Amino acid sequence: MAIDKSLLTGSTTMLILKLLDETNMYGYQMIEELRKKSNNAFELKAGTLYPLLHTLEQRNMLTSYEETADNARVRKYYSITKNGRKHLKEKKEEWKAYTAAVNDVLGGASFATA
Amino acid sequence: MQQPNKIAEYLEVVRQQIRWKRAQSPVLEEIENHIIDQKEAFMSDGLNEEAATARAIAEMGDPVVVGEQLDRAHRPRPDWPLLVMTATMLLLGLAIQIWIGPNHLNNGAEMFQKQIIRAGIAIPVMFAAYFVDFTIIGKYPKVVFFTLCAITLASYLFTGGSRATSTIYLLLLFPTAFAGFVYRMGNKGYGGLILCEVVFIIPAYFSIYAHNVSVFFLLCTTCLIILTAAVVNGWFDVRKLFAMLIIYVSTAVVLSIPFLVMSGGRYILNRLQLVLNPSLDPTRAGYIGTMIQRFLSHSQFIGEGLPISGYGGYSASQLLPAADTDFLLTYMIYRLGWIVLIGIIAIFTAFIIRAVLLCKKQKGVLGLLVSLAIISTFAVQCMVYIAFDLGFLLFPPVSLPLISYGGRALVTNMCLIGFLLSVFRTGNLVTDKAGVSVAKPSRFIQYDNGQIIINLKTK
Repeated sequence: MAIDKSLLTGSTTMLILKLLDETNMYGYQMIEELRKKSNNAFELKAGTLYPLLHTLEQRNMLTSYEETADNARVRKYYSITKNGRKHLKEKKEEWKAYTAAVNDVLGGASFATA
Repeated sequence: MQQPNKIAEYLEVVRQQIRWKRAQSPVLEEIENHIIDQKEAFMSDGLNEEAATARAIAEMGDPVVVGEQLDRAHRPRPDWPLLVMTATMLLLGLAIQIWIGPNHLNNGAEMFQKQIIRAGIAIPVMFAAYFVDFTIIGKYPKVVFFTLCAITLASYLFTGGSRATSTIYLLLLFPTAFAGFVYRMGNKGYGGLILCEVVFIIPAYFSIYAHNVSVFFLLCTTCLIILTAAVVNGWFDVRKLFAMLIIYVSTAVVLSIPFLVMSGGRYILNRLQLVLNPSLDPTRAGYIGTMIQRFLSHSQFIGEGLPISGYGGYSASQLLPAADTDFLLTYMIYRLGWIVLIGIIAIFTAFIIRAVLLCKKQKGVLGLLVSLAIISTFAVQCMVYIAFDLGFLLFPPVSLPLISYGGRALVTNMCLIGFLLSVFRTGNLVTDKAGVSVAKPSRFIQYDNGQIIINLKTK
């Protein structure tokens, strides 16, 4: 199912932090990972990703380092900081509260608690 | 590397949106890598190169929008906390000069005016240093280092030989230049390490000729810190423990030479004894030490100290020479209480800790070494000054940065702080890419078979 883009924008930060919470990655990897994990539902534009990564780095939620890949290209890896983990936790709580509220209004079982 | 024109065109449009020039290439490189990764993925899915490139670019999004977003993410920002602390120290220094003015034997108002003018010179110098691209130090370390040597030598020869006070302040710039030199010696192994030590001898000798043991101590400490940081970061590509041993053993051996020479050893021992116990000779060589002890023992926590008896009707500022420069802190502790010391230590510590935190975040070794050099130059001055004013007289103070009276010290320290802020402004964009540190830029000066070739065509 294609998902309305505006639903994605608000939560991109959270999703990126979540990905990096598991392992360090470079930009291209993040987009691929996100696509795989969401069964192709999330198609994050690379053009949106990089400005976001750079902003998060300046806000001390991520740090980056460079590593030379097999094909001699230099890759910029990102890793989450303590600050970033804290932010992720807050965002998650926020998200849970939000989805629970939406589900309450829509009626039916609360999927968010699953 | 040749790249398809379409990618280059796309990147060019993105580049045009990013106003901060320094940020452009690292950012574009990342985007370019991404497009190539994406293109290769599409090609392995069966698309031909042209179609794969077109799709990879389309996936990236509108170059103008992407560029604008990147532009917003990359704006040069000064580190406001450090800038505010610098301004505070500068203003505090001026306020103290106003306060101390009327107590002077000389005309305090005129001295204050002079200090204001010097601050007026120091502030633009700081901003000029702030806008200088600090990587120059890493690109042309020899030019920077030896030009500084030449200027220092000239100032030593032309401004009064052994009492060369200008030389002292020029020497404060050496650790920063040394950091650039160490940077250039990256991956050069033990030879590079030894060369760094050899180069260090030049400023060390200057400081000895200028008869300034404090500057000598400052140079030794800061350069040791720089070399240690470089070795710990694996910069020389040598066995770390062994390299440390070389650095510290050679330093220890060189420093112990004066002790081994009989007369030198006795002189130093005498001096040390007097430093630790000035009452051995309270009216002559131990006068200052005795005076400081008296002042401090009569000081209170808050408020003016108890009157000191036994010295006739002389006021505190008359008993203590140079109350505005070398003994500013002792004088203020006596007049206003120990609280002053706590305040001064607090602001300097805050400045140093903030700077060290930012220094640790530097991505490139050059940024790390240069900022470390400046921070240690600043920190050693503070420590020497505070120790001296508390009665430890081994190292006569250079200055209490930005606070004690004196124009050259003020301008030099403001210049260093400006440069430090410059490192923190752009340092995150300067990384040591594989090969960059080893690749030689076009040489500015070349030595060839006894000839010196100056290449003016370098960028």
